[in-house]
Amino acid sequence: MKRSIIGLMAATLAVAGATSADAKDYILTGTKGNKLFLVDPGARKVERVYDVPGSGGIVQTVPSPDGKIAYLMTNQWGGVVGLDLESGKPVFSTDFSTSRQVRTKSVLSMDISPDGKELFVHQTSVKLGLGEYEVLPTQIAVYDTASGMDAKPVRTFPAPRRVNMLAMSKDGQTLYAMSWDFYMIDPKTGKIKGEHKIQGWDRANASPPDILDFWPLFEQTNVFSTPYFYARTDKDPMADPEAFKTGILTLDLKTGEYVMDDFENTSAIIFSSVVSPNRKEAFGVYTQLSKIDLEKDELVKRIELPHTYYAVNISSDGKEVYVGGTMCDIGVHSAETLDRLATIELPGCYDMGAGGLRMIQR
Amino acid sequence: MKHLKPLNKKAGLVEEAVDGGKLEEVAAMQTIVGCTATLDPGWEVDPFGSVAALCAPMEADLYGCSDPCWWPAQVPDTINTYPDWNANAPSAARDWRVLDAVFPKK
Repeated sequence: MKRSIIGLMAATLAVAGATSADAKDYILTGTKGNKLFLVDPGARKVERVYDVPGSGGIVQTVPSPDGKIAYLMTNQWGGVVGLDLESGKPVFSTDFSTSRQVRTKSVLSMDISPDGKELFVHQTSVKLGLGEYEVLPTQIAVYDTASGMDAKPVRTFPAPRRVNMLAMSKDGQTLYAMSWDFYMIDPKTGKIKGEHKIQGWDRANASPPDILDFWPLFEQTNVFSTPYFYARTDKDPMADPEAFKTGILTLDLKTGEYVMDDFENTSAIIFSSVVSPNRKEAFGVYTQLSKIDLEKDELVKRIELPHTYYAVNISSDGKEVYVGGTMCDIGVHSAETLDRLATIELPGCYDMGAGGLRMIQR
Repeated sequence: MKHLKPLNKKAGLVEEAVDGGKLEEVAAMQTIVGCTATLDPGWEVDPFGSVAALCAPMEADLYGCSDPCWWPAQVPDTINTYPDWNANAPSAARDWRVLDAVFPKK
């Protein structure tokens, strides 16, 4: 995987900016029981626990760019609460459903503009009739984060179906929406400006790739990444290990560079991945933790974990990898050796479930 | 589909769609938002034909998979119909005894 020197320099500067002076890494993770945990991974301890209004647990967390507000999807995928991390008070809320007759949900897909002023949520609605349900068009709703409680969208626009991930470009000019393909959307007008192929790729002798990803884990490097899997149609699946391949998809949210590179014959399941600030490595997690060389496109190391984890994130200096999601502990691993350095238990043992790990600096 | 035999009318429609050259539409409906019926055979084994690569322990997977309706037949629909099914069981590994069967309200 070739990356430009300019891109690398920009990444280095961006990371240097994030870790300047006294800023320190913290992990945000939402759980069942509508708790939000602020974790100090350096001190290996939970710094603060917040009670979040709503029910059903927190299924998605999007921090504001300044790290002061956490936007939390809750109420059975039906709304968002914005929590001030200093006061612990809600400063924003919205219910997606606009009436009792129209039920609106989001499949965990939301992101925020770089200036923190607009929150984008992909929504899917169904009209509840007496004897039938009518599936309505999917849309992206845009909320002004200054709208306070009971916020209504300031604009909506039609959006493709099956979107389970939104990621805003760092210049705020493109809203990336991952569906069967990766759409580039104008965040002002909703116009689809272009697309990167996923299911529609034209790779020879290859099935459409399979991706399961609703963990936004790109804030440390501004590089979106996810594992993908596909079958080689020219290989014997019963006899040839080359018949199934695993790769890492990366989308640079600063430069727009989009890469899908294989790194191994499929030999493990990986649910989510994160790119190191050095841009040379990625880490993938499930019941194993994998370290992937993005330049040589090869597996460097793989270790067994105590149990399955869904989400992986990384420290600003790239030295520590954090695994979370599923149960109620966060594992701290050396990025160099993958050795387990610490386990941080969430008090009360609230499961993270499908909720991920987000990094903020404060 | 040669190893699956439809037992009811709905399953028969899937087979008819495949026979009628509408395989793409069936594939598109494989994952459905909102806890309606999903046919996802094979989830009981991992992609390697074994169970070693399934989530371990299964409690680690319970909420991550039941909240998005990945196990629609085995657990209640917590998005729409039974939102409080696991409200008193924030830790699946510790509280699984609290998780109960549900019945439609009369």
